[in-house]
Amino acid sequence: MAGSKSTALPIAYVSLRILIVLNWIYGAAILGLVTFTFFNEAWFMRAIDVPAGTDAAPIMIGLRAIAFLGLLAVPINHAILTRLLRMVETVGRGDPFVAANAYRVNAIAWALLALQLLSLAIGGIGKAIASKQFPMHLDAGFSTSGWLAVILTFVLARVFAEGTLMREDLEGTI
Amino acid sequence: MAIVVKLDEVLHDRRMSLTELAEKVDITLANLSILKTGKARAIRFSTLEAICATLGCQPGDLLAFEPD
Repeated sequence: MAGSKSTALPIAYVSLRILIVLNWIYGAAILGLVTFTFFNEAWFMRAIDVPAGTDAAPIMIGLRAIAFLGLLAVPINHAILTRLLRMVETVGRGDPFVAANAYRVNAIAWALLALQLLSLAIGGIGKAIASKQFPMHLDAGFSTSGWLAVILTFVLARVFAEGTLMREDLEGTI
Repeated sequence: MAIVVKLDEVLHDRRMSLTELAEKVDITLANLSILKTGKARAIRFSTLEAICATLGCQPGDLLAFEPD
């Protein structure tokens, strides 16, 4: 058990560091792609297999809106990942039950909620621009597990806050 | 703080130092110092019992309620 604990922490730390970088690369890629669509819309339409004769304007607007929402997800993801990283650091220092971590879990819960709302919006836009000629399958929309994760994280934040208070009381007990 | 710790007075009456008490009740000097200065959040019954037994006093001799 001690062995798995000692290896899990560095793995989590390195993974989170990598994910933070990948998240910004993902954001930069979306931004680059959206910018490219303004310069070469026809090429982009061919690349995503929009059939000839289909009205491209609503599809393009929809895709750009999805990309914009995707960009909004980047700072939210960053907020989640950096807070998780700080929490892993406190575990490494042997002192994770602190009030700051309770606030971090709460902030992560709000960020997860924001991501779910973004996912709903992206899913809605995807459905709006999809047609028989241009079927579009996005991995977005309502997700039971996603909303469950939001609720779970809010509950965990509350549990963490209560636990931290209890620990502070215990520490002040002689 | 409405609850006042009067450990200092009891120790003075018994002519005992905080270090001596710490050795006798097996509590660190740092923790007893926290208790004496009123910075503790709570006191365990076992701690109270050990201090009362050593100093030959009642819990009421060590703690007092003073309204703010």
